[in-house]
Amino acid sequence: MSKYEYVPEPALVKGNHDFASLTRLVTDVNLRPTPKGWYLAMIGANSLLLVLLVAIGYLFWEGTGIWGLNNPVGWGWAIINFVWWVGIGHAGTLISAILFLFRQDWRTAINRFAEAMTIFAVMCALIFPGIHVGRIWVAYWMFPLPNQMDIWPNFNSPLLWDVFAVGTYFTVSFLFWYVGLVPDLATIRDRATDKFRKWTYGIFALGWTGSNRHWWNYEKSYMILAGLATPLVLSVHTIVSFDFAVSIIPGWHTTIFPPYFVAGAIFSGFAMVLTLMIVARKIYGMKDIMTDDHMEKMNIIILVTGSMVGFAYMMEFFIAWYSGVEYEKAIFLLRATGPYAWAYWTMMICNVVSPQFFWSKKLRRNVYFTFFISIVVNIGMWFERFVITVSSLATDYLPSSWDYYSPTIWDALTYIGTFGLFFTFFLLFLRFLPMVAVAEIKAVLPQADPHNYDDNDEYQAPEVEVPESQARFY
Amino acid sequence: MKDLEPTDQQMSEVKKNTYWKSLNELAQNKEYQKFTEREFPENASELTDGVSRRGFLRVMGASIALAGLAACRRPVQKILPYSNQPEDVVAGNPLYYATSMPFQGNLIGLVAENHEGRPTKLEGNSLHPASHGSTNIYNQAATLELYDPDRSRSPLRNGKGVSVEDFAEFASSHFSNTNQRIAFISEANSSPTYNGLKNEVLNKFNNASWVTYEPFGEDNAIEGTQIAFGQRVRTLYNFDNADVVLSLNDDFMGSNHPNGITYARQIAAKRRMNNTGDSMSRIYAVEDSYSPTGSFADHRLKLKASEIESFTYALASALSGRINGLNAFSGINNQFTDHHWISVLADELISNSGRSAISAGAEHKAEVHAAVGAINLALGNVGNTVSYLEVPHFNEQNNRQAFADVVEQMKTGNIDTVVLVGTNPVFTAPDDLGFEEALSNVSIVVNLSHYVDETARKSTWHINRAHFLETWGDGFSFNGARSVIQPQIQPLYNGLSEIEFLSTILTGNLDKGYNLVQNTFSGYYSSGFDARWRTILHDGIDTQDNFSAASVSLASSFEVTSASETESSGGIEVVIRPDPTLYDGRYANLGWLQELPDPMTKITWDNVALMSPNTAAALDVDNEDVVEINVNGKSVKIAAWIQPGHVDNSITLYTGYGREGIGRVANRYIDYTAGGVNTYPLRSTSAILYSNAEISKTGDAYEIACVQDHHSLEGRDMYRQATIDNYKENPAFATFKSVHGYDVPGMREAHELEKEAPVSLFREQEYPDNISYPEHEPQWGMAIDLNSCFGCGVCVIACQSENNIPVVGKKEVKRGREMHWIRNDRYFVGDNVDEPQAVHQPVPCMHCELAPCEEVCPVAATTHSEDGMNQMTYNRCIGTRYCANNCPYKVRRFNFFNYPKEYLTTGDDPDIIQMAMNPEVTIRFRGVMEKCTYCVQRVNRAKIEAKIETGSPKPADGTVQTACQQACPTEAITFGDLTDEDSVVSQAKSNDRNYQMLEELNTRPRTSYLAKITNPNPALALDINQE
Amino acid sequence: MSTNNDHTDSLHGILAEFKNPKQLLDVASKMSKSGYHKFDTYSPFPIHGIDKAMNLKKSKLGWIVLICGLIGFTGAVAMMYYMLVIDYPMNIGGKPFFNAPAWVPVTFELTVLFSAFGAVIGMFVLNGLPKHHNPLFNITRFKKATDDGFFACIEAEDDMFDTDKVKKLFEDAGATHIEEVYE
Repeated sequence: MSKYEYVPEPALVKGNHDFASLTRLVTDVNLRPTPKGWYLAMIGANSLLLVLLVAIGYLFWEGTGIWGLNNPVGWGWAIINFVWWVGIGHAGTLISAILFLFRQDWRTAINRFAEAMTIFAVMCALIFPGIHVGRIWVAYWMFPLPNQMDIWPNFNSPLLWDVFAVGTYFTVSFLFWYVGLVPDLATIRDRATDKFRKWTYGIFALGWTGSNRHWWNYEKSYMILAGLATPLVLSVHTIVSFDFAVSIIPGWHTTIFPPYFVAGAIFSGFAMVLTLMIVARKIYGMKDIMTDDHMEKMNIIILVTGSMVGFAYMMEFFIAWYSGVEYEKAIFLLRATGPYAWAYWTMMICNVVSPQFFWSKKLRRNVYFTFFISIVVNIGMWFERFVITVSSLATDYLPSSWDYYSPTIWDALTYIGTFGLFFTFFLLFLRFLPMVAVAEIKAVLPQADPHNYDDNDEYQAPEVEVPESQARFY
Repeated sequence: MKDLEPTDQQMSEVKKNTYWKSLNELAQNKEYQKFTEREFPENASELTDGVSRRGFLRVMGASIALAGLAACRRPVQKILPYSNQPEDVVAGNPLYYATSMPFQGNLIGLVAENHEGRPTKLEGNSLHPASHGSTNIYNQAATLELYDPDRSRSPLRNGKGVSVEDFAEFASSHFSNTNQRIAFISEANSSPTYNGLKNEVLNKFNNASWVTYEPFGEDNAIEGTQIAFGQRVRTLYNFDNADVVLSLNDDFMGSNHPNGITYARQIAAKRRMNNTGDSMSRIYAVEDSYSPTGSFADHRLKLKASEIESFTYALASALSGRINGLNAFSGINNQFTDHHWISVLADELISNSGRSAISAGAEHKAEVHAAVGAINLALGNVGNTVSYLEVPHFNEQNNRQAFADVVEQMKTGNIDTVVLVGTNPVFTAPDDLGFEEALSNVSIVVNLSHYVDETARKSTWHINRAHFLETWGDGFSFNGARSVIQPQIQPLYNGLSEIEFLSTILTGNLDKGYNLVQNTFSGYYSSGFDARWRTILHDGIDTQDNFSAASVSLASSFEVTSASETESSGGIEVVIRPDPTLYDGRYANLGWLQELPDPMTKITWDNVALMSPNTAAALDVDNEDVVEINVNGKSVKIAAWIQPGHVDNSITLYTGYGREGIGRVANRYIDYTAGGVNTYPLRSTSAILYSNAEISKTGDAYEIACVQDHHSLEGRDMYRQATIDNYKENPAFATFKSVHGYDVPGMREAHELEKEAPVSLFREQEYPDNISYPEHEPQWGMAIDLNSCFGCGVCVIACQSENNIPVVGKKEVKRGREMHWIRNDRYFVGDNVDEPQAVHQPVPCMHCELAPCEEVCPVAATTHSEDGMNQMTYNRCIGTRYCANNCPYKVRRFNFFNYPKEYLTTGDDPDIIQMAMNPEVTIRFRGVMEKCTYCVQRVNRAKIEAKIETGSPKPADGTVQTACQQACPTEAITFGDLTDEDSVVSQAKSNDRNYQMLEELNTRPRTSYLAKITNPNPALALDINQE
Repeated sequence: MSTNNDHTDSLHGILAEFKNPKQLLDVASKMSKSGYHKFDTYSPFPIHGIDKAMNLKKSKLGWIVLICGLIGFTGAVAMMYYMLVIDYPMNIGGKPFFNAPAWVPVTFELTVLFSAFGAVIGMFVLNGLPKHHNPLFNITRFKKATDDGFFACIEAEDDMFDTDKVKKLFEDAGATHIEEVYE
């Protein structure tokens, strides 16, 4: 007898659901009257959004000087927040595209949710390149538009690559998300009883009927989009990392940035998805769809990417030493021991140490612990960007120019404000759109497979084929 | 040279402090209102430069340059342009006129750039011996002073505004009584017209007394020569002939020395190294606090100011045994007799007899100056490196004694009228004299001053003084060259010059300075005066060397009167000096000078209590801790600052701060945010320089805006130097290879390809073989000789004046947002922690050929010009600040707020300060990046003129000078066309000391440095190693 | 089974509902085997293998995307070349005007962007969407098609269309409901 034991894949949907019950479970959320709690949450989110608007308004009025920036440190929280939000925005597309290509059916439970988060996170991110410039009112000069100066943007600048990368990423993610939404919007259209809902959902459902001729092109399109989004999602943070890697500042000028930024992005993205999922599935009773198995799988990804990031941190030190460049060596020592050591060690503990707990299956499946770690991870990732952006600038080549960067209240308010934007949109999403891809999750039910029916067209639960050697276990 | 290890105690402490300070900063993220909001009223009107200029013309009537057009107006006073006289003013083309600036009573020859009747920039007059074409920081800031909106705008009678005519009326009536007891208290003034009037005054008023009062100056030096030689003469050095220079606490290169420009130029010239064959002089400095001269010296000895006297005597007595003429010192025995420096110096001085020079700090006792005079005489330096000038306008009495006597008279009520000309004794007089109280005993006080200052507010009559750029005047340079002060503009506020003021007192009518000065000069020339007058105005100088050299011999009566055994007093002593950027406080309202970093501490906007790390440790204070300094009853509270290289148990304080109610810039604010502390109360006649003090820590802290947070080079190679011997052994010591032992990356491959510069992965836009750099264009470059720079900072002010760089205020500087386009980095290096060497490195934009800033700008706002300049397109800039981040030299400056508006809108109508702006340079607005442009406006003007004349846009070498280069007294900066092998800059760059900063980054800077050479005395070097 | 209709609208086709995916799959192959062309099946999710059963041709979408992608690629390169080399060449940090490596990111992004638009718009165009009204929507029961209903429909335009034959076919396939759909 072999020492291996056969463990069947856990069912993707818990509880005995059929198509109709799944439809109800998901879409009733959008059809039933708005709960009070939602309004309360919305008020909270909106007040934060107001903070953002005030902060941006004052910035517009007074100038970049209201932030804590100074001479060596030209980039502060604005860029940190930008990179942080973009990073978070990676999980969605990763789940919907890469996991789709890898035929990871468990993605269907969370992809809608994650994609929504992606889009809103990228929206938050996109604010910063716009407002962090000195003359916000001419920020559009970054686009290749004909103008009275008869001059074009400089396509050699990583900042311009950013504009294209993040812009494209947002657009494609949005299209991807919408394509996935269309069949479910049709479902709500058909379930809606009042004229207004019928009509609005009808508009956005584009007259979807569920025709299999349509499904045929639809699946093709979905597959192609997944194929396009996969390299795209990897390229986005690569290009964001070019903002640093292409410059000549010690601690920035390093080729390890692209892979390690992408790993970090996935790391923080999954953490954010977990944070939101754990809350949402509790409130909306989706435990049957978003199961602990999903949580565990995501925790494993967090463990892996977290370790990759940790490895990158070590590599940076090694390369700095190995390169023999005194400025590189100095900056990494300064990060760990200099004026920003406090930030550096916060980063190390949050990003490298905390995920290691997920080696334990028990902790991987512990909801509260997972929730806690998911938040710790995002704190850590914020500090990673802080350490990279600020410490390198504050202590670069000429000691005479070294200066300490400290933020002002306006840096903080702007950052907090973006959460207002994020949650406002997320609440709207939860309220008005199906938070799970209904059509897709139906397709992964065993009932969806024609092979699971006997000759009398009666459903036959699929047998687990067990290898002969282990037959006796069943 | 080895740098301080980051591990070493003192320095790392300094570093730590800086950071902890900054961490505290982190704690207080309170939204700060900008300093400028306090500085200027809210109801700020927004006049554009153009409007205000027109407004000014309307108000002021005909300005000089428009004389031709405005000939109908009276009075017409013709002056002549310095260079080619135009048939008429071509709008947009500045005219240049010669004039002179009185500084501590002596004239410095200047050339004023005059735009449509508006002087905007002052340069040195190359024909003038006190300038040689360069300037000091005060000359540069004079334009700002002219347009200072806070200057007094009208005469005041008991504080109420009246007209000048009222004053004339008063004068004619009040001064008709020639028997009244009048005391004239005047600033030092070399003007022959003024001194002529002085004599008339003394003749007319038979009970009048006249004293010259300066808070700082050469009074003690004069008394010294009186003791040593029995003559009141001026000590003039000629460092051109000095191979060995000993400074006894004398910062003779610094901006505060009346002849500093000339001395700095001579010293630097004597140490210029064009090749290994050249020799250089050797400088010894004995001083308490770190001075620019001290940082330039080859050897520096820390001594308390109170010990200088004993040290001088010890040196004299050591010499007395070996040369004649110092018998008075023989047998003197004190704590320095066996000091290793004494023997070394004695040998050095004797072996260089006749080629050495010893100088002593102006504020040191007359006895010290006497001893120094005696030594110089004995060494045979007199006539070679030192000469003594008979200055006609010197008073026959001891100025400080006379001043004290007059104050005594005032106290006892023996004075009816006091006339104060240009001085501000209420603020500056030694505290024990009680001048203010004495003044209150006088019934009529008449005062002439620029501002309604402390003294003006105590006067019955205040007359607003005309700026030297507004009225006619004359005078002598420090070494006796006679020139005329040519006004550049009609008086903005109808002020009176000191000669007009005096003659009004004398005659009761308002005479024109023009006539007074012309009368004086017509007196010199019996015939052909008109032609001569034109020449004088044109050249800005009349005759040189009007002071005859006195033949001096040691006075028979000469003996060392003061106790030969002047034991250095135990405990902590306080030394009071004029501020390196505000002098005695008279320039306190000039934002440029307030924001100019102190040459040694890099502090702006404040004065501090400078002390050594050891003293700070003993007092248990840190940077920015407020200490209370108590000197016999009087006390001030001031922030402490640790100055490496400062002597222990001594605290240096600067004067000139803590002004009240004189202007929006200088004013000290109740909320303790800027303006500094008035330290004059600690000064007394008995202890004019130093006195013992009790120091106590108050526990408060006071924020100091220092532009440099970090003072160690961290073992990096930005600054390179060698001793002259090492240089001769290894002329290429400054190259990257000899510093690091290996080549710049990519250089080996380049050698194989026979290329000059390291290989790149791409095909560069490279001079000359590329369309980006056409053959017909000049290629600009700059070389900065670190062997000449002593860190005075005049380049910074000159740049600020030329390029309309705004003053941002203390809060912004504190935030690290100073806007200076050229900064002067100061590092502490050296093996010996207690005696670090201070080095200065001016850093403008490097104008890299492969500029990292350009690549990263998303909107192509910074690009490369055909003549190889890295240029900034303000209109295109959107302010991502990416370029500044990616600049390894951190020379780019960002307009975080609308600085120009706050700086140029004072709420006055018209906004006179806007007239100080250079019309050829754009005012940058909020949100754009800016940086050094190599003075592109000057470059392009020269290119256009060259094109017109020769057809080629390559100006002849030397026709383009950048502002910093032009102002530099030591000619440390050279600039020119690199395509011309013979140009000065090409020559400089071919010097084997030439190196590029951060060469390994392959940015190809067009600005390069010439490494510093020191000339240490082997004997002394040995000693230091033994320590 | 309500066939008694008195309205005079033209017949669109006949719609039948089936229990489960398997039945739909079977009827799909039946319809195509019987030589019908204008027929379709409707399900809340794509059913595995139904494309063969309905013998659907390979989707043309791939080609559309490829073309769009090429447009994006060449467009990007052309734009940058015109702007930085032809129209306004500038010496930026000493880099060559045609700075190919630096142009890769933008080229890549625009290629992806255009392809994505092709994939989405192309898909909807191929499906003849958006289409707000569809005769099938007249059938109340058809709402289940997006929930848990499995429908097949043969359109009246089909050459072989004959009401009775079609109904017969559906009945044999075990349809639970059969309805005539009118415009």
